[in-house]
Amino acid sequence: MSIYIYGIIDSNDRIDESIKGLNGIPVSYIPYKDISLVISSFNGDIQDITKIKVLEHEDVLDRLMEKFTVLPFRFRTLYNREEDVVSMLKDFYNDFSEDLGRLRNKAEFDIKVIWSGDKIIEEITSDYDRDRDISAGDESRGKLFMEQAYNKYKIDREFEERANICITVIDNFFSRFASEKKLEKLKSKNLLLDAFYLVDKERQGDFKEAFDSLKASSSDLQYLFSGPWPPYNFVRIEYGKD
Amino acid sequence: MLNDTVNSLDLHRAKDITLLEVLDKALNKGVIISGDLIISVADVDLLYVGIRVLLSSIETMESLQGRHIPKRQFK
Repeated sequence: MSIYIYGIIDSNDRIDESIKGLNGIPVSYIPYKDISLVISSFNGDIQDITKIKVLEHEDVLDRLMEKFTVLPFRFRTLYNREEDVVSMLKDFYNDFSEDLGRLRNKAEFDIKVIWSGDKIIEEITSDYDRDRDISAGDESRGKLFMEQAYNKYKIDREFEERANICITVIDNFFSRFASEKKLEKLKSKNLLLDAFYLVDKERQGDFKEAFDSLKASSSDLQYLFSGPWPPYNFVRIEYGKD
Repeated sequence: MLNDTVNSLDLHRAKDITLLEVLDKALNKGVIISGDLIISVADVDLLYVGIRVLLSSIETMESLQGRHIPKRQFK
């Protein structure tokens, strides 16, 4: 029997032990000073891990978020002995406290912005082909190759410049509601922006309203909104990351 | 809760996207503490876990339809 860890909460009060964790086993907690580690017993191995279990992990964190500030642990954190868990909790207490303080009453929101990357590249290419000098006739293969490579570079650069302009406008719009942010741009040609914002509870309504108004005002871009999430992207504790 | 105004197609897509986001976050982000004390399932590479989870997606989605999907909004 092992101990599965869901996260840390900013309270040492008794938690709602009707919350079910992995394999439907009720969660419990290990308090230390003013924080607690939320755990459940786990009996199984890697072969049993399915996405159902990932959802169970997330479901526990969601329930905890209703009452507490939560530091989510990465899925699959498992210890063999309770004394090791307690030892870890004591060793990292200061780190946990610091992160909990920074993240108190805040949640993560994700905004994905999709644009027609393929179409934009076509437009840029077509503009470029129209403008460039095609009068030159006999060109050597080497020269042609170099020219094509240079053209591709210029098209890519313009594509990225257009993306940056859009991203700056969108980010300026949302940043005013957030205390921290993480932006991942152009993860694919069509996924213009995958942005994560850390938003205080009091500003979450404003954040959502801002999203709705931006979405209503733009027809060229497609927006996806999700949240509130536990602050997965904003925890800073990574000890022994492999 | 998912927004009531979205149609059923959007609702289905929203669930798919939510599930992918849950997988991405829970598998790739969050507190990591690993050391000598930890005996984790990490003996098997994380990527393996991720791939295995994702590969099982289509048929398992059926069984997820009646299941509580976290309270996200998609519009």
